[in-house]
Amino acid sequence: MRQGVTAVIYTVSAVIGVAAFAYPFVLPQTAVARTTAHAVDAPLLTLFLIVISLAVLLVEVQGQAVSAKVVAALGVLVAVTAVLRFLDTLFPIPGGFTPIFAPIILAGYVFGARFGFLLGTMALLASALITGNVGPWLPYQMFTAGWVGMTAGWLPHPRRPRRQIILLVCFGFAWGLLFGAIMNLYFWPFVSDGTAASWQPGSGLRDGIGRYAAFYLVTSLVWDVGRGVGNVALILVLGMPTVRALARFRDRFQFVKTE
Amino acid sequence: MMNDDLDARSWVVWVAAAVITALAAHNPFYTLIVLAAAGAVGVVCARPDMGLPLPLARIGLVILFFTTLFNALMVHVGATVLFRLPGNWLWIGGPVTVEAAVVGAGNGLVLFTLLVVFTTMNRVVSTGELVRLAPRALRDLAVVVLIAITYVPETMNQLRRIREAQAIRGHRVRGLRDWRPVLIPLLIGGLERAMGVAEAMVARGYGSTADSRQPLATQLVLLLGLLAAFAGWVISFWVGWPGWMLMGGGVVIILLLLWQLGRQTPFTRYRPRPMTKWHVGLMGTAVFPLLLIFLPLPFVDKTTFNYSPYPQLTIPGFDLLTGFSMLLLSYPALAGWFNGNESQLAPTAAPQVKSDDND
Repeated sequence: MRQGVTAVIYTVSAVIGVAAFAYPFVLPQTAVARTTAHAVDAPLLTLFLIVISLAVLLVEVQGQAVSAKVVAALGVLVAVTAVLRFLDTLFPIPGGFTPIFAPIILAGYVFGARFGFLLGTMALLASALITGNVGPWLPYQMFTAGWVGMTAGWLPHPRRPRRQIILLVCFGFAWGLLFGAIMNLYFWPFVSDGTAASWQPGSGLRDGIGRYAAFYLVTSLVWDVGRGVGNVALILVLGMPTVRALARFRDRFQFVKTE
Repeated sequence: MMNDDLDARSWVVWVAAAVITALAAHNPFYTLIVLAAAGAVGVVCARPDMGLPLPLARIGLVILFFTTLFNALMVHVGATVLFRLPGNWLWIGGPVTVEAAVVGAGNGLVLFTLLVVFTTMNRVVSTGELVRLAPRALRDLAVVVLIAITYVPETMNQLRRIREAQAIRGHRVRGLRDWRPVLIPLLIGGLERAMGVAEAMVARGYGSTADSRQPLATQLVLLLGLLAAFAGWVISFWVGWPGWMLMGGGVVIILLLLWQLGRQTPFTRYRPRPMTKWHVGLMGTAVFPLLLIFLPLPFVDKTTFNYSPYPQLTIPGFDLLTGFSMLLLSYPALAGWFNGNESQLAPTAAPQVKSDDND
């Protein structure tokens, strides 16, 4: 029963996350009058909803993961990831390259979806606190980075290392683009200024996707390709040794299930 | 200045008020007032050890440049034409107008103002205070963040030590591949430390050594609150207030549950943070402009909140009372400046242990 409720909470949270990012595309005509009359309401309410949803999800995930070993391992891995982001802030690399996604992907792949989700959210939170990047974008970043770690945990584990690395490289590149495409959506409704690439409430799914595609191509694609290529390079160079090291510690940490 | 004694909650209210004001009042004059207020607060109230984490002026110029350029090239509306681009150029072909550039600059100004507001909060409120804002119900995750923040300096030191050790062996970091002998030992060393930390935590009675689950009732209430909040959010697009009420109900359910879960957590405050008159003043002055913006007050000229330079560029309107109310966001800076003694900003409480143990 409890497992069923947990699954429903995860599903509802995932639906809320997707809806919060995708509502600009699917807002129907009948809702347009209200939304345009309160142009600021919709994004602010959505921000509020995503914070609440994130809190619920964290309470639920935390309720299953309170062992001291999990807490300590998470804390140290979050610290390593935060240091990488700190170095990225100090010595910025041109383009969207950032080294924080590779550890999230690799740890999620080895330790599983739940650990990956927690590492993604906590790493973004801690590194934002350290680098002074707390802002309205943070809940969205936490949610999306959590998805990165969680989906990494769902990847199959082929026996051959070469196939593993190919899988992880493709996954890292895809999330390099996806992260930017998803993150843009949180502020896209705020730049509703009548351009062919801006949000037009009630424009319909097809037109909305077309407008967003134009916006993404003009403002983000090159930047996000940089992030994707950075993920590929990091996973190619560091992927297998990191996976081996994490797998060794996974056995030592003995992440037990009490079910 | 003893910023560690600041009440972070009042600063969160200040930030929320400044952000909502900047977003709701679409008028460059009002945005400039919020920007100036936030900047002044950052200069006067920042912790002494906290410099600017970002080159704000440079970032501001970049934001303004790109938003102006983007809007000028993409929007072909307005009476004052600067020049024309060939019509067959995808998206950007057509007349480039002053009005479109002004709208782009206005959007950039709002984005820059939000950045300055949050940078100010990061400079005023310490990391520890921000972590303490975490609900007690999320205690384990707060511990994760605290471990991470505590271990960041140690991890930096370890990184330096590994690089030095590798340099002694003749290793030089030139390309990405050369980072492998540095980063893998850093990861392994970190995980070894995690083992030690976990054992120390268990030895001191922290939590359990095995995973556990939330009670079923807690899960069901969480699910109920989440569904109500989501349903309210969806309904709010069609019918407004009823949706907001439903969403508010869901949020209240979740907050009450978090509060209840938090009460089960033993909690000890080493240094209590009393809510002083100064903090009440900070929150009151911050919320004041929101009242003028959102309440139906006949003496406030609401047309000034929706400035648009289309079709012909005009000077934005300005409501004196609204402008003055937004100036109140600089209350922390004015209070600090007039008092001359920054300790007024942060009344220092003598360290004392206050236990809120509930069990």
